[in-house]
Amino acid sequence: MVIDPILTQIAAKADEYWQVKTSADGALALGMARYILDNDLYDKDWVTTNTIGFNEFAEYLKRNITIEWAAKESGIPAENIVNVAQEFATAKPATIWIGYGLQRHVNGGATVRAIDALVAMTGNVGKTGGGARYGHLQTWGFNYHALLQKQPEGAKGVPGKAEVKGDFHFASSDKPVSYSDRILNINKTAQVILDADDPPIRLLWVSCKNPFSQDFDRNKMVKAFEKLEMVVTVDQFFNQTVEMSDIVLPVTTLFEEWTINASYWHYWLSINEQAIKPMYEAKSNIEIAAALSKKMNALRPGSCTFPTTIDTKAWMTKEFNQNIYDLFGLNSWEDLKNGPVKAKMHPASWHDLKFKTPSGKYEFKSELAEQWGHKALPEYKKPREKYDKCRLLTPHSKFGLHSQFVNMDWSEEFNPKPFVYLHPQLAAEKKISDGETIRVFNTYGEVIITAKLSTVVPPDAIVMYEAWFKNNPYNVQNVVDDTSSDMGAYKTGQPGVAIHDQFADVAKV
Amino acid sequence: MKKQYAFFIDAERCIGCFTCAMACKNQYHQPESVIWRQVYPIKEEIYPHRERAFYSLACNHCENPTCLNVCPVVAYAKREKDGIVVHDQEKCIGCGNCIRSCPYGVPRYNPERKKAEKCSFCWQRIDAGHKPQCVQSCPVEALQIVDLATFDKPGAVQYPPGFPKYPKLNPSVRFLMPRLPRITGREDI
Repeated sequence: MVIDPILTQIAAKADEYWQVKTSADGALALGMARYILDNDLYDKDWVTTNTIGFNEFAEYLKRNITIEWAAKESGIPAENIVNVAQEFATAKPATIWIGYGLQRHVNGGATVRAIDALVAMTGNVGKTGGGARYGHLQTWGFNYHALLQKQPEGAKGVPGKAEVKGDFHFASSDKPVSYSDRILNINKTAQVILDADDPPIRLLWVSCKNPFSQDFDRNKMVKAFEKLEMVVTVDQFFNQTVEMSDIVLPVTTLFEEWTINASYWHYWLSINEQAIKPMYEAKSNIEIAAALSKKMNALRPGSCTFPTTIDTKAWMTKEFNQNIYDLFGLNSWEDLKNGPVKAKMHPASWHDLKFKTPSGKYEFKSELAEQWGHKALPEYKKPREKYDKCRLLTPHSKFGLHSQFVNMDWSEEFNPKPFVYLHPQLAAEKKISDGETIRVFNTYGEVIITAKLSTVVPPDAIVMYEAWFKNNPYNVQNVVDDTSSDMGAYKTGQPGVAIHDQFADVAKV
Repeated sequence: MKKQYAFFIDAERCIGCFTCAMACKNQYHQPESVIWRQVYPIKEEIYPHRERAFYSLACNHCENPTCLNVCPVVAYAKREKDGIVVHDQEKCIGCGNCIRSCPYGVPRYNPERKKAEKCSFCWQRIDAGHKPQCVQSCPVEALQIVDLATFDKPGAVQYPPGFPKYPKLNPSVRFLMPRLPRITGREDI
């Protein structure tokens, strides 16, 4: 069964599809939890042995949550909630697969916690085929050699939050990186460039990222780039960030270099072999860094510790360590030349029931969460207030990832131009017909785009896909602001961003 | 029945990812807009959710191919051993007869070579023991190569709704229709 505001391709393949109100999945989960509690369908033994705070959670549910309330908040009829709660609690194992879009809300973290609690109270955590599924970094324990170069002698940092340890700092855990770089919120790129004044940011080096297509509030980004004295961009294509840059350096494609491929969804590891030598002046990212270091050291000896010559293949091999080899059952990285390998792991997360929480148990009630400004319990958190006529969702296109691939000729052949899905009811109200060019606009900006009438979206939401089409000014970030989501700071230093808490109106051009 | 290779399009499995169509372009590098395989969304009158169910279509390698029958220079041939309809571009004079006559609109005009061309069923790959590139690339096994002499998939049809029926041509293609989810819509709108 699929629960989604949009009738997605996955929803079309489901037995059952629920068109939930956007950002209301938490209410749905808590409504189910209330039913399961009232009807003694929760796993008492598991909860008693492996969790803390269940009684407080139960108390919260009794005081604050009803199935009728959940139905009203989520748009899903109470009868459906009851039936599925019954089925979910009694099917063993049962699993919930949490998509990444769910967290991109001002209540996204709270929603994920509510779903986690629902799965935990039914005793499905740690069981093969059960549990709450999400992205992971289990297979990312590389050395991050290129990232962890030490700063030059006598380097002065910027006062501020030092020692932020993100999710990617595994290998360095025994030797902490003592840097004092200024940590800026990657989800508010434009705002932090505009705000930074002590000292101001003068030069921006953009490496293999397209902030104009991928980051939020494009009009603010233009202002931010105008404030910068110089922008250097390293990329493969003449994209919208390149258009705004002073110096552009061509970077290699994955066909021209050695690299490693891991995922935060599947558990496979593979090697990307160099198929052709780099063409023309293209260099890999780290070769560009080495060339830059060479020039800096020529101008001022000792000003950069990054090596000045690099063999990219040798540097790839520096990423491997014994933990990676053990996890994947490898003797050497060369084994990967025979094909990808899957991590040798128990199929269920938390199968040993040793949780990485302060108590070592599953915590319905989390003091750590409270310390970080959240509720101790997985309580319902209200969605962002609507600020324009329709909910605006800008998910990834199946033709690409952020601004990659959509611009390729073989991709544009089958996906020639951007479009916005709108419901025929909304279209009728706005006198918009199928195929018409329309405006999608809000307080942040506007997008001129072709309308596609479809009932895959509800009447109060519109969908257009995040993408960069070559020779096309289309950009969803014109109408997406940089409001933060509720969680993310504990693990990454900065909160995430509420990409899907956006609203816009539509009109004929 | 003689051996006849056919494409089996399982629209129940198909997720409309276009990988088959892109794999074909990747294999043959046809010029822009020259497409041998296309992924067509099923019309909403047939499947009510727009762009959520698809037929991936190329040449149907008909038993009685119109293209072959109308070609003035015998550029088309139907292989005895497996029924694949092969177009020989060396012989083609670009007259456009096949392009105008194929009721499935399969042959395309290549403006660079000024000749017709179409899906070859990757006969060179077949002869080397491989699957066609489109079939090979499908991540969900929705597009398959089958031999109609032995194919007996329950529920498979030759003319699903939306696919034109030309029994005289007898297209070598079979389909499974997509299913619909049970839907609970929003109560508040």
